[in-house]
Amino acid sequence: MNVSVSKGMNMKFLYAGIIIALLVAIAAPFLASSDPDGLESAAGNVIDEAKLAEMEESEPFMESPMPDYAIEGQGKTGEVLAIVIGTLLVLGISFGLGKLAKK
Amino acid sequence: MHIPDSFIPMGQAIIYWVIALPFIFMSLKWARKELDDMKVPILAALAAGIFAIQALNIPIGMGTSGHMVGAALVAIIFGSPMAGVLVLTLVLLVQGFVFGDGGITTMGANIVNMGVISGFVGYYTFAALKNKTGIKAASFVGAWLGLLVSSVACAVEMYVAGTFPLEAGLAAMGLYHLIIGFIGEGLITAIVIIAIEKARPDLLDSSVTSVNGVGA
Repeated sequence: MNVSVSKGMNMKFLYAGIIIALLVAIAAPFLASSDPDGLESAAGNVIDEAKLAEMEESEPFMESPMPDYAIEGQGKTGEVLAIVIGTLLVLGISFGLGKLAKK
Repeated sequence: MHIPDSFIPMGQAIIYWVIALPFIFMSLKWARKELDDMKVPILAALAAGIFAIQALNIPIGMGTSGHMVGAALVAIIFGSPMAGVLVLTLVLLVQGFVFGDGGITTMGANIVNMGVISGFVGYYTFAALKNKTGIKAASFVGAWLGLLVSSVACAVEMYVAGTFPLEAGLAAMGLYHLIIGFIGEGLITAIVIIAIEKARPDLLDSSVTSVNGVGA
């Protein structure tokens, strides 16, 4: 296989990957279950209510700009935007780090 | 399975960071040694896809949901669990710092559970099975077991932290992730591996496909 052809094919894989990732990111706020995840659900079962409430009230170590994948006051649009921003951020960081690290 | 700051006391959270750091370091060494212009786009596409799919919680009944982790998938494609550690570390950094999903102090524990344990168990289970069962079944079982074992590790960490009682914590975490692992991890991992094998078999690390075809 010609190297340049194959490199182009891998860029195609990247574009296909970006499109799939963005579609998932846009659909996620509408499709995702709002039920607690496995760890939160287990916590609800095994920790007594008062202690759990106290843990949930406690301040996180650091305030994040878009807690819970949402933008304050922006509803579903904000959620879509938050997850799309996150997806592009991970894409950029991993691409940049990969380029820096490669031989 | 993203542990928030309040679930592990600071002293213990630091210990998990100390355990995580050598793996992060080794994953960067892996990147230096293995990545080239061909593989960087694949890594970036997978990382972006895994971040997005982690936002898609699937209901599993019992008022509970769960999502894919993805370390096993990345490890299988690149033929090294270090690739899974690298991608999950990057995903967890963005989730923790930008979205408050998973704590900052507890990020070390989350990297150990989701990046190291689920990736290593997933990859080596896959490697042990692939010649006997073919890569579809091996990737399904590997990814499923990787998630299950990491949830058991998480339950033990919660016990050591004084957050969960041991038996009830193990039972709840094990049960939920046995199911999440089935759908969210095993099935999606196998589907992606099959799709890549069909469309771009050259992308799979040669260790994945080497003896494949004998039994399959």
